[in-house]
Amino acid sequence: MLALWLLINLVKDPTEFFSVAVIGLTNGSVYALIALGYTLVYGILQLINFAHGDVFSLGGLLSATVILDAFDLTAASSAVAIVIGVAVSLLIAVAFSSALNTTVELVGYRRLRNAPRLAPLITAVGMSFILQNVGLYFWGPNYTSTDNLIPNSAAFSIGGVDFQWDNLVVILLTMPLLLALTWLVTSTRQGKAMRATSQDPEAAAMMGINVNRTISFTFALAGGLAGAAGLLYVLQFTTIRFDQGFQLGLIAFTAAVLGGIGNLAGAVLGAVIIGLIEAFNEGLEWHAAGSDWTRSIVFGLLIAILVFRPEGLLGERTPEGA
Amino acid sequence: MSTARATFTERWRQLPDVVQRLALPALVLLLAILYPWYFGGLPGAFPAVETAVIMLIFTVMALGLNVVVGYAGLLDLGYVAFYAAGAYVAAWLASVQFEQVTFHLGSIGIVDTLPGIHISIWIVLVAAALFTTIVGVLIGLPTLRLRGDYLAIVTLGFGEIVPQVVRNGDDFGGFDLTHGTFGISPIDSIGFGNTLNDTLGLPASYQTSTNRAELFYLTALALLLFTVFCSVRLRDSRLGRAWIAIREDETAAAAMGVPLMRTKTWSYATGAFFGGLAGAFYAVFKSGAFPSDFFFNFSIFILCMVILGGMGSVWGVIVGGLVLSYLDREGLAKVGSFASDVLNRPIDVPKYAFGVYGAIIVAMMLFRPAGMIPEKRHRLEIDEGVESAAVASAEQGGDGRRGDG
Amino acid sequence: MADNLLDAIQLRKEFGGLVASNNVDFAIPRGSIVSLIGPNGAGKTTFFNMLTGVYKPTAGRILFDGEDITGKPPHAITERGIGRTFQNIRLFPLMTAVENVLVGMNCRLRGGIIGAIIRPPRVRREEKLARERARELLAYSGLPTRHTELARSLPYGDQRRLEVARALATEPKLLLLDEPTAGMNPQETADFIGFVSRLPDDRGLTVLLIEHDMKVVMGVSDRVTVLEYGEKIAEGTPGEVQRNERVIEAYLGKGATE
Repeated sequence: MLALWLLINLVKDPTEFFSVAVIGLTNGSVYALIALGYTLVYGILQLINFAHGDVFSLGGLLSATVILDAFDLTAASSAVAIVIGVAVSLLIAVAFSSALNTTVELVGYRRLRNAPRLAPLITAVGMSFILQNVGLYFWGPNYTSTDNLIPNSAAFSIGGVDFQWDNLVVILLTMPLLLALTWLVTSTRQGKAMRATSQDPEAAAMMGINVNRTISFTFALAGGLAGAAGLLYVLQFTTIRFDQGFQLGLIAFTAAVLGGIGNLAGAVLGAVIIGLIEAFNEGLEWHAAGSDWTRSIVFGLLIAILVFRPEGLLGERTPEGA
Repeated sequence: MSTARATFTERWRQLPDVVQRLALPALVLLLAILYPWYFGGLPGAFPAVETAVIMLIFTVMALGLNVVVGYAGLLDLGYVAFYAAGAYVAAWLASVQFEQVTFHLGSIGIVDTLPGIHISIWIVLVAAALFTTIVGVLIGLPTLRLRGDYLAIVTLGFGEIVPQVVRNGDDFGGFDLTHGTFGISPIDSIGFGNTLNDTLGLPASYQTSTNRAELFYLTALALLLFTVFCSVRLRDSRLGRAWIAIREDETAAAAMGVPLMRTKTWSYATGAFFGGLAGAFYAVFKSGAFPSDFFFNFSIFILCMVILGGMGSVWGVIVGGLVLSYLDREGLAKVGSFASDVLNRPIDVPKYAFGVYGAIIVAMMLFRPAGMIPEKRHRLEIDEGVESAAVASAEQGGDGRRGDG
Repeated sequence: MADNLLDAIQLRKEFGGLVASNNVDFAIPRGSIVSLIGPNGAGKTTFFNMLTGVYKPTAGRILFDGEDITGKPPHAITERGIGRTFQNIRLFPLMTAVENVLVGMNCRLRGGIIGAIIRPPRVRREEKLARERARELLAYSGLPTRHTELARSLPYGDQRRLEVARALATEPKLLLLDEPTAGMNPQETADFIGFVSRLPDDRGLTVLLIEHDMKVVMGVSDRVTVLEYGEKIAEGTPGEVQRNERVIEAYLGKGATE
């Protein structure tokens, strides 16, 4: 059914189809960065960090402010100024969001590590609301908007499908981040400590791994990715609001679950799929449900995965089940 | 002075156990029933009767959620779905929404030829509660098998989907189910009709009565009492024990012969029942079901009541529910204007309502996870004489509060 | 299998590639006390978890009282008459001792949701009888007082006794005890073993004991089965097993590593 619908749309208007796919891929990249944060934290603490989406939106809001107030960038600024400005705001957003996410863990979750499982989960929901209101306090209830810094014009086009600069930049910035993350988790000492802790914190502690520091590091890493996602979101959409993180966070979480929670490659795959689903639903002409229904579709998918294949696309079935 | 107090305490102790136990609740109940009539003499910080109605309705919802979260330990982040379902069932069954048909059953205050379904609100309330119960079972069956945190996220998903369906549900292939963002309004009035008014003096129609607020208040209070009664009875029953056993240790509960799926589904259905009942009554009170009332945050608001009061503790949840809904409807605004006066600059406290709720949730989980008035199981057996003294002294904290049970 | 209450036939359980139970045959004669022993990590608890429905066996069958219960959920198995305790005590900490026992009676009581709310005489009577019976069971299990205390505030030994009372409340035909004397001092252990030895005569029960300490079970067991690395290495009367070379080897090996 789904495949058929996509195929008909493809045949009817291939240019539109691929243009929409590029948008989906771009959104998927941003989701991937957020989804990775969920998956990293879930992998190590088995905690759904509901506040993660709000770390993302605060990172985005801050980078928008840096772009607007510190660098005063507009669409008319020179390319050099834009590159430097964006690079600096990226660094600031990443540093801020890492610090914020680590603080959230330190203040909110650390004390509850041995509490019943529901306790940190409920705390995470509360944290999310606190962070949203921090955003509301400093940035107000309206959208914070920047100029369109990266032109919407086509960088190149293949067979009538335009690859716009803004999409391209987002994808090109995401790729190295993903590669760096993979390298970090698989090849560094800190990454090995993370994997060991996620498998068995007690055993890891006995092997001389500083579990608290490893968990803090994981939150810092996840927060950093969320901050980067915040900046990319601002570049792509030019507006952001205090309460957008929760929604986007849930969508990203869906992506993480779809791919198999705890699985890094899965999070990326899931994010791309969700990005495409969303773009197709909103962008295609022929019989798409439209943006009014996007959330229902994404959450419907989430429910379906959890009920029918809780281990996700790339996850492994655990021996003892749920 | 102190001797007078000592004599009083002594006399009090000599009173029959039943009197001792019921005196305080009876006093509270009396004060609650009479509230609309002495409210006028109270300082301005006390809630208006209209506000009190909503406080009572929200507290019913909190008690319903308490069955799911507090008793059975299932984190439901989409409770708003039941609230919405209840409200819309009420709207469907007692308004002109389905003008394709004309069906009247015991409706009051409208002409017989008015199109749409018009069923007596009393029946509608029951129907809405039963409908949401069924919805609860249908949602529960596939999802309750999931581990706790997955269940939380699935319920959250439903809490997101239902409001969207409600908002976009004005055109299902041309069929208008929910009237979209406008909502469905007006809903027929609740009341006893002219016949019962003439014979027994019962109010004919609440909405047109001069005592509208008082009538709704008393009815809401009755609903709350019914909910409290069910909550307490259920807690001290075979089913309630099974719920709490699951909350405490699911594996052990299953090993003791508690069927997990069936027991969890019952808790979900019970929570849905009260959510639907409260939602329907709320819609009747406001004479409309509006999508703007059903947003995700509302689920967290109700959850916050349960956590503030104490998960599993009936009296705690009542207090938590009343306090938070008061803050939400009047309190925060009053605090805000008070703070603005004192600090001499405008502070919009209600704007940060959910920040306040979030902070309450986090603070409670970190510093007082059992809530303001924690659940006290052993009080159930207070009547078993000899041991209660030993229990009281051995009890952790031992503050001897006469709370739960 | 003339009069076996339980027959496990070629029971196998794999976790990933690891074989935790390798085609074990195992029988429990009605009215006997049987022990399953083996060094730590021998697969005793896995085996136990299969009998009680916590794990589904990869292959093999379990017959209980003439009925195939393989792969049934835990509560259904309990309902059919297998009661259990846990190695690391798993009570309901925020419920009282009596309530813990009442949860054990869950599948023997009938009161439903409507009954709970209306509380008709039938339900009242059932509740009253259940509470009385719970107190009897607690007293029988060595807990004559402190019935209304929360389970978590009971001392360790009493928690163990409460767990047994709770398991008895499920009205089992077969009682499974998973290392019940763990953490007990020698005197408590002796008392407990005495208690277990009376169960078949007192209450017509069949008992399966799981232990890693061989000495504990030798006195009470009618038959002993020894597991090592998921395999059955010996079976017989306590005397036979004690003389078995593989058993001695397994336990000496264990003694050397501990």
